[in-house]
Amino acid sequence: MYVYLLVIAIFMLGCGGQEGDDPSPTQAIPQISIAPMADYYSATTTEIILSATAVIESGEITEVLWQQTDGLNADIRSPNALNTAVYLSLPTSSSQAYTFELTVTGSEGTTASKSISFSHYLVMDKFQAARLLHQGTMGPTLNEITQATGLTGQQWLQDQIELPITHHLPLLQNYPEKDSPTRTSRLDTWWKASLNAPDQLRQRVAFALSQIFVVSDESFTQPAGQAHYYDLLLNHSFGNYRELLEAVTLSPIMGRYLSHLGNQKGDPNKNIRPDENYAREVMQLFSIGLTKLNLDGSNRLDENGQTIPTFNQTEVEGLAKVFTGWTYANRASWTSGSADYINPMQAWANYHSTAEKHLLNGVILPAGQSAELDLQQALDNLANHPNVAPFISKLLIQRLVTSNPTPQYIGRISSVFNDNGQGGYGDLGAVVTAILLDDEARQHGGVIQYVGKVREPILRTVQLWRETNAQSNSGWYFINTKISHGQQPLSSPSVFNFYQSDYIPTNLTVLKLYAPEMQIATSTNLISYFNFQHQATTSNIASNNQITNEYAMLANLDYQIDLYQMQGLNSLLDYYDTVFLSGQLTPEMGEQFTLIFNHFSNKQLEQRIGNLLFAVINSPAYVVQQ
Amino acid sequence: MDTSRRHFINMCFKGGLSLSALTSFQLQAIDGLINSSQQLDDYKALVCIYLKGGNDSLNMLLPMQAEPLQNYLASRQDMAITEVTPISPLTTIEGGIGIPNSLSPLHTLFDQQRLAFVANVGSLITPLTLTQYKAKNAAIPKHLFSHNSQQATSMLGGEQNNTHHGWGAKLLEGLNSHHNFATNISLGGQNIWQTGDGTAPHSLSRSGALNIRAFTKDDHGNSFREQLINLLSEQQHPLKQAHQQALWSAIDNNDELYLALTASEEGAIFSNTLLSKKLQMVAKMISVNSKLNVKRQLFFVDMGGFDTHDNQVEKQPQLFSELANAMVEFDNAMQQQGMQDSVTSFTLSDFARSLSSNGDGTDHAWAGNQMVMGGAVNGGDIYGKLASFSLNSEFDVGGGRFIPQIANEQYFATLAKWYGASDSMIQDIFPTLSNFDNHYLGFI
Repeated sequence: MYVYLLVIAIFMLGCGGQEGDDPSPTQAIPQISIAPMADYYSATTTEIILSATAVIESGEITEVLWQQTDGLNADIRSPNALNTAVYLSLPTSSSQAYTFELTVTGSEGTTASKSISFSHYLVMDKFQAARLLHQGTMGPTLNEITQATGLTGQQWLQDQIELPITHHLPLLQNYPEKDSPTRTSRLDTWWKASLNAPDQLRQRVAFALSQIFVVSDESFTQPAGQAHYYDLLLNHSFGNYRELLEAVTLSPIMGRYLSHLGNQKGDPNKNIRPDENYAREVMQLFSIGLTKLNLDGSNRLDENGQTIPTFNQTEVEGLAKVFTGWTYANRASWTSGSADYINPMQAWANYHSTAEKHLLNGVILPAGQSAELDLQQALDNLANHPNVAPFISKLLIQRLVTSNPTPQYIGRISSVFNDNGQGGYGDLGAVVTAILLDDEARQHGGVIQYVGKVREPILRTVQLWRETNAQSNSGWYFINTKISHGQQPLSSPSVFNFYQSDYIPTNLTVLKLYAPEMQIATSTNLISYFNFQHQATTSNIASNNQITNEYAMLANLDYQIDLYQMQGLNSLLDYYDTVFLSGQLTPEMGEQFTLIFNHFSNKQLEQRIGNLLFAVINSPAYVVQQ
Repeated sequence: MDTSRRHFINMCFKGGLSLSALTSFQLQAIDGLINSSQQLDDYKALVCIYLKGGNDSLNMLLPMQAEPLQNYLASRQDMAITEVTPISPLTTIEGGIGIPNSLSPLHTLFDQQRLAFVANVGSLITPLTLTQYKAKNAAIPKHLFSHNSQQATSMLGGEQNNTHHGWGAKLLEGLNSHHNFATNISLGGQNIWQTGDGTAPHSLSRSGALNIRAFTKDDHGNSFREQLINLLSEQQHPLKQAHQQALWSAIDNNDELYLALTASEEGAIFSNTLLSKKLQMVAKMISVNSKLNVKRQLFFVDMGGFDTHDNQVEKQPQLFSELANAMVEFDNAMQQQGMQDSVTSFTLSDFARSLSSNGDGTDHAWAGNQMVMGGAVNGGDIYGKLASFSLNSEFDVGGGRFIPQIANEQYFATLAKWYGASDSMIQDIFPTLSNFDNHYLGFI
C-alpha cells in the first residue's frame, strides 16, 4: 500500500498579523519545515513519504540526514534527501508509534534538527471509524461507530456490502384515511428507511446516485413508482454501471420525467422528429458529460488549448431515434391502457425509428434494427466511452468524500472503474470501496488543506435524528424539507440536481474551489435551516409536553442528559467529539462550548443541552465533513 | 456601519479569518466601509425575469395570415397556437403580428408603450451565417442547446471560458454600487448573473425576511449570538470559512431587511402564483429603497417549467398566463409607487425551442424573443427582425433552430446603458459586443 503525502501550498496569514521569532545569530542556522503527518490506519505494510524543506540565510545546506528515533525498525529509502520514501513493516500490536528526526547541516557548520511523530494503526480507533462512517452512512450513531471501532475499513465496508437491501417500496403506506399513498407517504418511507436501515452504506450510495441519475416528483407525483425508482438505485448501488444505466433508461419514472416514454419515430410529412430530451441528458448528466476527459478527470484540450465537446447535435438526434417506441409495460395499445410505473418500459415496433442512428465515436447503428437491439447497442456505446470512468467516479467522490478531489485520486478511482482487478468494468461496489479506502479519503500520511465537503442539510438532519432516535407521536414521518432544508429527496427542481458539481461560491473564487452544496446555501435556506435545527434541538424534543403536533419528529436527548448528570460536561463533549466531530474537538472549541452551556445556566437542563447540541451541529467542524 | 460589515471586521480582527481567503469580494466590502458614499443621484433597478428551462419564445409573436401563417402551421402542426390576439407595433409587420391569447394581459401594456419585444436574439460571439456555421469557420458559441451552459452564457454576457462573473454583478461593481448587500437581491437563489468578484446575491424568500428563532431579542440572545460567531474563529479550512461567512452575513443582512420591510406598504394586488408572489416581494423591496439607502438595485426572479419537451399544448398557456399576469401586476405596483420610470424588467431564458415539433413538445434551440417592460421603455414596438416561421430557411441550423440575428450582448448592453453604465464600461463587461455594428438597440 502506498501512502502519499500531498503538500498543498495555501498560504495562511492571520488577519491580525503575527510577529515571527527572529533570532539573529551570528552564524546562520538552517530553518527546517516538515510537512505534517496525520495518524493513519492500514491493515497492510505501508510506504509513506516524509517531506521537508530547509533553508539557510547564508552559505548553503551541505548535509541532510533522516534518522528514526522511535518505532519498529523502518527502511528509510533516501536518508540524505529532504523527501524520502519510508517503508514501514506490519505493526506487532494494534498500533505503532513512529518518530523520525531530520538533521540539516549548513556550510558554516551550523546544524538544526526537527522531528515528526505519527502512529500507524492496524485497525480503526473510534475517531477513524467515525470519519469513515460519516462518509459511508446516512449519518452514524454512537452504536455504529463503537461497532466499527477495532475493525479495518475494509472489514466494515465488506460487512455493509453484504447486508440485505432495505427497500423503500415495501414501507410505503397509504396516506391516512386515503386509499393510496401521496408524495408525503413517499417521504415518510424515505425517512423511515434512511433513519432505520442497517444497510447504511447502500442507502448512502443510493442517495448519491439519486443526485446523479436525477428524477423528481416536482414534475409529477407517482409515490409507488418513485419509491421503486429509489429501490432500483439501491439494487444497483454495488452492481454494474452498464446494468444501472439500462435500468434507469427503461424506468417508466425516468421515461416520463425525461419524456422518452411515449417518444415515437419521426413523421417527416408533419415535420415531427423524435424527442431529444433523454438523448441529451443521458449523455450530459448520466454518463459522459459535455467535454472529453482524461482518466484523472481533467479536460482534454485540442491543439488550440480548447476543450473538446463529447458530442454534438448529430449524436443527440441519433440517440433520440434510439429512444423511440418505448412506453409503459403491458399496455393495451401505444396510446391507451394502464400506466405501469414499476416494471421496465416495453417497446412497440411500429413506433420505433428504423432509420440508421449516428452514435458516439462515429458508430452508426444500421437501419432496420429492433428497438431492443438499438437500445442495447446504444447503451454499450455510451457506457464504454472513456469519459464514463472519470465522469462518474468524480461525481461519486464529490457526493461521498470531498468536493475537490485531486486528479490523482480521480485517476485511481477511474482505473478501478475501468478494471476492478479481475477485469470487470464499471463495478460500482469496487468503485465505492476504492473511494472510501483511498489514502485521500482516509487522509493517510498527509492532510490536504481543503479536503472534505459541506454537508448536505438533509444528511445533517438524518444524523441528528438517527443518533437521538427521533420519533413522531403518530408514527408517521411527515417530513417536508423543501423550505426548511432547501433540499428534499427525489424532489430536485430539475434534472441538474439541487446543485451542480462545478459550483464555486464567490468567496472561493480566488482559490478556485468547488463547493456544490453551497449552491443551496442561499441566505434564505441558511436561515430557514438554522431555525429548523434550533427547533429540532430545543423545542421538538421527546420530553417536551407542549408539542401537540402528532407528526412532529421529536429528538430524544435522554442519553445526553444522563451522560452529563452522571459524568459531567467533559464526558458530554467527548461524546459529541466522537459522534459529530470525528475527533476534531480542540481545547479552544471545548471552552467555547462550555461558555455556551453556562450561558443557559438559568434554563432547564434539557434546554441547556439542546442549545449546546445546536451549537455543536452548527460548528464549522461539523458543517464540513472532513 | 451596517451590522454585517461590523461582524465581518470583528471576525477578522479576532484573527478568525486568514487573509489569503479574503477574496477581493471581502476586501472591497472593507473598502466600501471606508468609501461608501453614493455618487449616483437617481434610483434605478433592473428586474431579470428568468424563464428556466428554455422558453419557447417563438410562440410569443405569431403570424396572422398568408405565407408566414402557413409556414408556421406547417412547422408546428397540431401544436400550433391558433388563438391569437393581434397587436399593432409602431414598426408595422407585413401581414400583421399577434400574441397568443394566454399573453393577452400584456396587450394593454404594449399599446401604452410600456412593453417592447426584442426579436430573434440569442447567444452569439460574432455575426454568423448558416454557411459559416456549417463550415465551422467562424466563432460559434460552445455547448449550444445545453441548459446549464446556455444559462451561464446568458448570465455571464459571454462564453464560459472567458469570464466567471455575471454581467449584472459587473454592472453593480462598475457603478460602485455593490457595497450595500441590498443592491443585489435574488428571489431565485444563487445565480451567475448576480455573482461577481465583489458581490453575490442576498436571497430573499417570497415571504420576505425571516425571524431568527435561536436568538431572543435581548442581551441574552445577542450574547448567545456572539458566542456562536466565536465558534468561527481560527478556521483555516476554506470550505468552513465559506460556509460560516455565508451563514453570518445571511443572518446580519436578514436582520436589516427585517427592519426595513416592516415599513413596506402592501400596495398593489398580486395573484397567488409563485411568480406574482416573487414580484410582489420585489415591489416591496423597491418601496423601501430609500430606507435601505440604495441607488441601484438588481433583482433576479425565476420561473420554472419552460422545458416543454412534452405536453406543450397543455403546459405553455399556463406558463404564459402566469407570466403575463404577474408582469401586469408588477407594472401596476410600479405605477402606484410612481417608480415606473426607474424600474425596468426584462425576460431571459436558456434558449428558445425548435420550431419543429417532436409530436408532443419542442426541443432545445437557439434564437428567440424577449420582453422588456417599464416606463423608460420605448414600448409598443418589436426590435429586430422576427425569425422565419419556415423550416430550412436562411438561418435554420436544423429542425427550426435559428441562428440569432441579435446577440444577447446587444440586448444586455442596451439595458446596461440605461442603467447608467458608460460605453467603455459596457465594452469591458461585454468584450464581444465590438463584433457587432449596433451596440444599442434603442428599445429604452
